[in-house]
Amino acid sequence: MDFEPRYTEEQERFRVEVREWLKENMPEDIVHPPDSIDLTYEQYQKRRELGRRLGDKGWLWATAPVEYGGGGLTVDQSVIIEEEIDEYGLTIPPYYDTGGRLGGASILVWGSEEQKQHFLPNIMKGRVRTWQLLSEPEAGSDLANVKATAIRDGDDYIVNGQKIYVGSSFGADYMWTLLVTDPDAPRHQNLGWFMIPGDLPGITIQPMEMLISGGEGGAGSGEKNTVYFDNVRVPAFNLVGGENQGWKVATTHLELEHGAGGRAARRNWMVDRLFEYCRTHQRRGQPISKDPEARDRLVDVFVESEIARLFGMRNYWMRHSKTPMTYEGPQNSYFRKMSNLRQATYILDILGPAALTYDPELGAEDGHMEAFQRSAIIGVHPAGTADIQKVIMARRIGIGREVREKAGALA
Amino acid sequence: MDLALTPDQEMLKSVVHRFVQQEYPKETLLEIAASGSPTPSEPWSKLAETGWLGIAVPLEYGGEGGTLTDAGVLFEELGRGPVPGPHITSGILGVFTVLAGGTEEQKREWLPLLARGERTLVPAVTEADYGWEQEDVRLAAHRNGAGFRLNGSKVYVFDANSASHLLCAVRSEGGDQVGLVTVPASAPGVEVRPLPGFSWNMAEVKFNDVAVGESDLLGLSFDSGWDALQWAIDRTIPVLGAFQVGGCQAVYEMSVDYSRTRVQFGTPVGRFQRVQDHIINLVNHLDSARWTTYEALWKLDTDRPAQESVHLAKAVGSEAYHQACNYAHEVHAGLGGMTEYGLTLHTTASRTLYHYLGNPRFHRLRLADALGL
Repeated sequence: MDFEPRYTEEQERFRVEVREWLKENMPEDIVHPPDSIDLTYEQYQKRRELGRRLGDKGWLWATAPVEYGGGGLTVDQSVIIEEEIDEYGLTIPPYYDTGGRLGGASILVWGSEEQKQHFLPNIMKGRVRTWQLLSEPEAGSDLANVKATAIRDGDDYIVNGQKIYVGSSFGADYMWTLLVTDPDAPRHQNLGWFMIPGDLPGITIQPMEMLISGGEGGAGSGEKNTVYFDNVRVPAFNLVGGENQGWKVATTHLELEHGAGGRAARRNWMVDRLFEYCRTHQRRGQPISKDPEARDRLVDVFVESEIARLFGMRNYWMRHSKTPMTYEGPQNSYFRKMSNLRQATYILDILGPAALTYDPELGAEDGHMEAFQRSAIIGVHPAGTADIQKVIMARRIGIGREVREKAGALA
Repeated sequence: MDLALTPDQEMLKSVVHRFVQQEYPKETLLEIAASGSPTPSEPWSKLAETGWLGIAVPLEYGGEGGTLTDAGVLFEELGRGPVPGPHITSGILGVFTVLAGGTEEQKREWLPLLARGERTLVPAVTEADYGWEQEDVRLAAHRNGAGFRLNGSKVYVFDANSASHLLCAVRSEGGDQVGLVTVPASAPGVEVRPLPGFSWNMAEVKFNDVAVGESDLLGLSFDSGWDALQWAIDRTIPVLGAFQVGGCQAVYEMSVDYSRTRVQFGTPVGRFQRVQDHIINLVNHLDSARWTTYEALWKLDTDRPAQESVHLAKAVGSEAYHQACNYAHEVHAGLGGMTEYGLTLHTTASRTLYHYLGNPRFHRLRLADALGL
């Protein structure tokens, strides 16, 4: 076993190259507001510009095939890139985008050659930003119950309906979504998977007011939106995987979103910040970290974060070594969500009410601890609720059933 | 990064797996548990013949010279039994303590015998004020001519009832140092009393004017005994962790099987989400233990700083085995409580291993120190 990517001399040279490149290409004055809703448009554009430069270099989606705009690099190289950008507190991609990781993966598996050529290079090179549109008022945990329709009309589909908890601040170039293509067909056989340009007439975006946007991605999404489709005309070319095949196409990105992708980056900024704060701030004449009760809770936070790190690493390895997965994806998602919630409670114990304010004088770590209190509870539900992850785990393990449900295809 | 076992380790795993199925079936394990004598000659001598008790003994001392991860693979499969010792206590903790603290002559005397299972050497550390700190060791070695005399007792000693020899932590006379002496369990004045109840092979060892020779003092000095023991404990913890992982894996598979076959209200009970919750909690504990354990083994094998990982592995692994058994009982209800079903073998082992080498709370406190909090 080897828990660390092992680097050859050549790979170490690659790390130096990445490090040097990032030093030169990293936009100045990148800031990390605790709540991503406070990210300014200017900051967003800096991240987009970095994304485009990474994309041109083949480092945005490093392991994606070169012929579709990816870097065609090895897993170890992609880990090097992620580790190096992690030093700046950024992720790959350095902004909210579900194109390369999720939608793009579905297109790679299920799209026609023409569709791959059309959609993927722009995604992989960071030229476009993409949102996913899945939940609806009547389709949350029961995603297959979506009601928004795409009805064939000549060479187009006419789209009507409403999607919620969508995207981020500052709009998107593409929206990929599940729509009903045959209202009379049985469940799961009635859907189509579409890649829709965001600027088509009839699309309205309306921000939602939420406690925080939550979300599982490393890059905060900022605002969540309701997206309305009012007789939006979408070319039939934008249907991926064929009519009424949408559920099948969705299994790929749902699998990835349910934690199958995993994570290789090693630093946990929240834990680092918390420990640093507790070492450097005094309570009753000694550092908070020396207070016996706080100390117990700090260890609890550490233990939780270590297990979450190891599950993420295991899934990252399984995915990239093509080791067949069963329950590991939803387990990773379930554990991380509930673990974050437990950690938030520990931090509330450690810091007291200081964890609940971003007041510059009385809050902790510039408001990062307060934002974590909010995201820990709101984050339990996006991308399949914690309970849904357990339902999927039970099917994959085969609890109470002889036939084990298979994981979605990732490649 | 490669989280797979090597082909050799995969082969070891399947060989040990078959061995445990063949030599330690449930009926045998239940018989051993009922007899109160954990080392019936037949399966134990077969286990010794495999050479696995020497997995951690360097080649030059007649062992297999395996890595800690190799040992983890072996003990994970033994943990599925759970196969009774004294395998980890002697073959891992005893061996590593001798390796770290013994003179060259002592190593040459002990290690080949331990590797072949011809002797077993089980550390006896804890006393009435149960604890794993140096200050908890009170039993004194009183000077007596060319040797020492022991008077007192060690309690809650895991595997003492099956050991041929004990490696006893003793305080130097009037001193602040703790050394380790080897004592035959059959020596005059040594009385090993198995502790009855919900415990797995725990015993009290009484020393009634037991004579110990100068040459039986590990390293021939009190200087380094405690440090040698600590070094050995750090390396033993993740191997013990792997044993606990094997136990978790066994009760997990038991529970999934049962969820498919037990029908109530006209449906397999595993169709009920309450029952599913128990198994999901169980598998989360299992995997938490598995990956913290194997990362610690890997760090030790590759000489990386491993102190945090060792404490993490013990805290997580012991909690996991304990909880995994609890959840398995929830799935099985009344049946799980019946001795003949076999689940209680694990439940019993999980409680004793929870405390062995320090309980989760103890290791969490040490983890805080290791983290520089």
